[in-house]
Amino acid sequence: MAVTAETLEHAHLEDHEDPRQHLMLDPKPRGEMNALVMESMHATSWKFWVVAAILALVVAVCLFGAWGYMISEGLVLSGVNRPTYWGIFLVNTVFWIGISHAGTFVSALLRVFKAEFRRPFTRAAELMTGFGLVQAGLSIFMHMGRVWITYWMVPYPNERGLWPNFHSPLSWDFLAINTYLLSSTMYLFLPLIPDLAMARDRSTGWRKIFYRLLALGFRGTEGEWTHLRIAMNIFAFAILPVMFSVHTIVAWDFAAASRPGWSSTIFGPYFVVGALQSGIAAVAMVLVVIRSTMKNMKYFIRAEHFDALGKLMLVVSMAWAYFFFNDYTVQWYGGDKFTRVLLHFHEAGPLGWMWFGMLISNVAIPWLLLWNKKIRRNPGLLFIIGLFINVGMWIERYIIIPISLTINREPFTWRLYKPGIEIVLGIGTLAFFILLYMIASRLLPLVPVWEVQEGQLAHGLRRVGKATVTSVSELE
Amino acid sequence: MPETKTLLALFKDIDPAAEAIDRLRGMGIGDDQMNIISGIPVTERMLGRPRQWSNVPRLAMGGAVAGLLIGLFLAFGTPSLYTIHVGGQSIFPGPPTVVVLFEMTMLGMLVSTFLGVFLDSYLPSYRPKEYVPEISDGNIAILFTCPVDAEPSFIEAMTSLGAQSVHPTEVGQL
Amino acid sequence: MGDLFEEFEHKWGMVIDQDLCTGCQACVIACAMENNSPFVGEKDAGYGRSLQWIRIERFWEGQFPNVKATPFQPVMCQQCGYAPCEPVCPVFASVHSEAQQINVQVYNRCVGTRYCANNCPYQVRVFNFRDYERPEPLPNQLNPSVTVRRRGIMEKCTFCVQRIVVGEDLAKSENRQVIEGEVVPACAQVCPTEAIVFGRLDDPKSQVSQLSRSGRGVKLLEELGKLPSVTYLKGGSSYGRNG
Repeated sequence: MAVTAETLEHAHLEDHEDPRQHLMLDPKPRGEMNALVMESMHATSWKFWVVAAILALVVAVCLFGAWGYMISEGLVLSGVNRPTYWGIFLVNTVFWIGISHAGTFVSALLRVFKAEFRRPFTRAAELMTGFGLVQAGLSIFMHMGRVWITYWMVPYPNERGLWPNFHSPLSWDFLAINTYLLSSTMYLFLPLIPDLAMARDRSTGWRKIFYRLLALGFRGTEGEWTHLRIAMNIFAFAILPVMFSVHTIVAWDFAAASRPGWSSTIFGPYFVVGALQSGIAAVAMVLVVIRSTMKNMKYFIRAEHFDALGKLMLVVSMAWAYFFFNDYTVQWYGGDKFTRVLLHFHEAGPLGWMWFGMLISNVAIPWLLLWNKKIRRNPGLLFIIGLFINVGMWIERYIIIPISLTINREPFTWRLYKPGIEIVLGIGTLAFFILLYMIASRLLPLVPVWEVQEGQLAHGLRRVGKATVTSVSELE
Repeated sequence: MPETKTLLALFKDIDPAAEAIDRLRGMGIGDDQMNIISGIPVTERMLGRPRQWSNVPRLAMGGAVAGLLIGLFLAFGTPSLYTIHVGGQSIFPGPPTVVVLFEMTMLGMLVSTFLGVFLDSYLPSYRPKEYVPEISDGNIAILFTCPVDAEPSFIEAMTSLGAQSVHPTEVGQL
Repeated sequence: MGDLFEEFEHKWGMVIDQDLCTGCQACVIACAMENNSPFVGEKDAGYGRSLQWIRIERFWEGQFPNVKATPFQPVMCQQCGYAPCEPVCPVFASVHSEAQQINVQVYNRCVGTRYCANNCPYQVRVFNFRDYERPEPLPNQLNPSVTVRRRGIMEKCTFCVQRIVVGEDLAKSENRQVIEGEVVPACAQVCPTEAIVFGRLDDPKSQVSQLSRSGRGVKLLEELGKLPSVTYLKGGSSYGRNG
C-alpha cells in the first residue's frame, strides 16, 4: 500500500492550519499503521549494517578490549590521582543516568499530565532509559579498583557476617539504580506486550517464534487489558518518585561528602533538573535520527512533537539555570575560603573555558533559539541544540567531579586531572548505546501503535462558535 | 443437554460491537458466556459489559508491604545482627534508613504490580487459544457460545449489525 | 551478637612538634619500610600517585627574594574520632576500632570505590593504582607483620597498629598496663629530633597527653569537628618544649 505522509516543508502554520498535520487528527486504519511499523523494522539497508559493524568493532575494542586491559593492569591507565580520585568514569556514570531519565519523563510524567503528544515516542524514550542505565552501570564498574568483588555491595546473607554499609550513599545508589533499572524495564515491557502480539500476528519464520515467545500468549481480552491498564497507571505514578529519588541519591554521592563545592544542599534537585535537561535533549536527538533513518517514521514523528520537546527543553533549561545560580550565589556569598577559591578556579582556572562553554550550551543557546517556533519545528536545528545541551551537561558534571576535586582543604595536595583511558572507554559506552538501540530498532516495534490508535480515537474536531478546535476525550 | 457452539463475530468499530452485545443479551446469551477481545483497550463502559475486577491494585499494596519489610530488615536487622561502628554515626542512622525503606517499598510495589498482571491474566501461556489475527489490526471480536440449532439466527443477527465476519472459532496456536 | 563488638582498651594519639621538625623525611622512609609500601616510580609519583602514608608539607610566605620558610608539617592519617571516611565505604572496609580508637582499613574488604579518599578532609588516603614490582632482593626487606596490598585497594597510616597490638598483647599477657614508650610507631622511632611523640591519650600522665594539652597545640581543620587524634605544636622557637 502506498504511504504518503505530509512533508514538513509544506505544513502551514497559520491559524486555519490543516488539522491533518497533527498525528492525532490524521488517523489511518490500524492495519495500515501496523504495516508501517512492521515495515520500518524490516526495511534494513546496507548502510545500517555498515554502521552496525563499525559500532560493534568500536565496542569490542574500545569498550570490552580496553576495559579488560585496564582490569589486568589496574587503574594506573586512568587519569585518577590524589586528590582527584574520581574522574571521567563518574562523569560518564552521572551523564548516562541523566540520559536515562528521558524515558521515565516521557512515558510516566507526560502520561500523568495527559500530554497526548507523547504517544508515538514513549517506547523510543523508554529504550533510552534501559540502554542508558546499562552504560551507567558499566561506567560505575569501570571505576572500581577491584571490580571482580563488586558483588559484595549486594545485600545477601554470607558467612563473613558482613552486610553492605547502608550509611554509604553508594549503597543507596546500588538500591536506587537497581530499583530504577528493574522498574523501567518492566514499564517498557508492559505496553510492549500488545505490540509484540501484533508483531507475532504479522511475522513468519524466526521472528514469529521470537515474538510469540515474548508476547506471552497475549490476545487482548477484557481481563488482560484491564490488568495491563491498571498496572500501567500504577507504574506511571509510582515510577515518578523513583525517578526523582535515583538522581537525588546520585547527587548525594557528592553532597554528602564534606568537600568545598560539593557539600551543597541544593545538589539533589539540581541534579534531577539537570538529568531532565540532558534527557529531554537526548530524546529530541534520538527522535531526529529515527525519523530520518527509519522508514515510515515521518508519519508518526512530526513537527508538532519537536515543537513540544523544544518548549520543554527551554523550560527545563530555565529551571537548570535557576538551580545553578542558586548553588553558585550562596557559595560565592557566604562560602568558606576554600569554596570561594574553588569557584574562582572554575571560572578562571586553566579549564575556565569549559565553565563558560557550559553556560553557553545550557543557557545561552536554548534561551536564544528555542523561543522561536520555526527553529523548534526544524528537526536538524533541534538536533544541534540538543547536542549542545548534552555536551554542556557533560561539561557540568566534569566541572563538578574532577575539577572540583582539585581544590580541597589541603593545598599541598592540589593537582590537575588529566584523562587517560577513560576517554576510550567513554567512546566505547557511547558506541554500545547506539548499537543496542540499533539492534532494538530491528527487533521491537518502535512505535506503540495501540497507544497511537487509542489517542486518535480520543481526538476529534468540534466547532466552538466559528472556530474548529481539537477536542480530546477521556477514554479510560 | 443442548449442544453449544462457540462463534466469533468480528467488528470494525465500537458502536456496532456494543449494539451486537446488547442484541446477544436479548437473544439469551449471558455476560459470562461472552468474551470480548480487542486490539485497543475498550472499556467495559463503552461496550455495556459488567465491570472487570482486578487483583493488581491489591497485589501492588501487598508488594509494597513486602518491600517495606525487606527494607526494615536491611536497615534495622542487619546492623543489629552485625554491628559495625562507622564515623561516629548511630548504628540506626535516620536519613539512610529512610532511603533504604523508600527504595525497597517502591521496588516491592512495582515488581508485584508487574507480576500481578501476569498472575491475573494467567500469562504466559502458550497453549492453543481462540484468536484471529485481525484483532491486532484494531478489530473487536465477540466470542459467544450459543445453541447449535440456533446458529444461523445468531449469524444473521450479527451480520445485520455490521459484523465483518461470523464463524465458528478455531482453537489454534497463537 | 556481642562477641563481634569490641571493648574499649586504649585511646592512642600522637603529637607532632613542628618547631622541632627539620623536614628530613626520615619518617616517610621509615613508614614505607615498616609498612611494606611499594616504590611507584618517578612518573607516577609526579602525577600524585605516590603511596606515602605520611607527607611533609612545605610552605613558604612571600615572594622571592623575601621568602620566609614556615614550619614543616608532617601529615598522616589523623585517626579521627568521627572519621568521615568510615560511613561512606559501601562495604565496611573503613571502620572504627573500638579497642584502639583509631580508624582501620580492612585491605581484604576494599573494592576500590575511593569514596573514603574523597571524603577525607586531610587527603591522607592513597590508592594502589597497579601491582608494583619488587625486584630481588627487595622482598627480603618486607615486614612480615604487615599485609602486602595488591592493586585496587586503598591504604593509609595505621599508627603502626601491628606494633600497637603487639604491645597491648604483651601487656595483657604480663597482666599489666602498657608502659610509656613501649609502643612506638616507625615514624616516631626514627625522628632525629623526637618531634613525633606517640602514646596513650587516655592516660592523662603520659607524655603525649601532656603535650597535647600544651598552649602551642592546634589540631588540623579542627573546625570540621572530625576529632583528629593528632595535635600539632607550633608557636616559634621562643616557646620550646616547656611552654
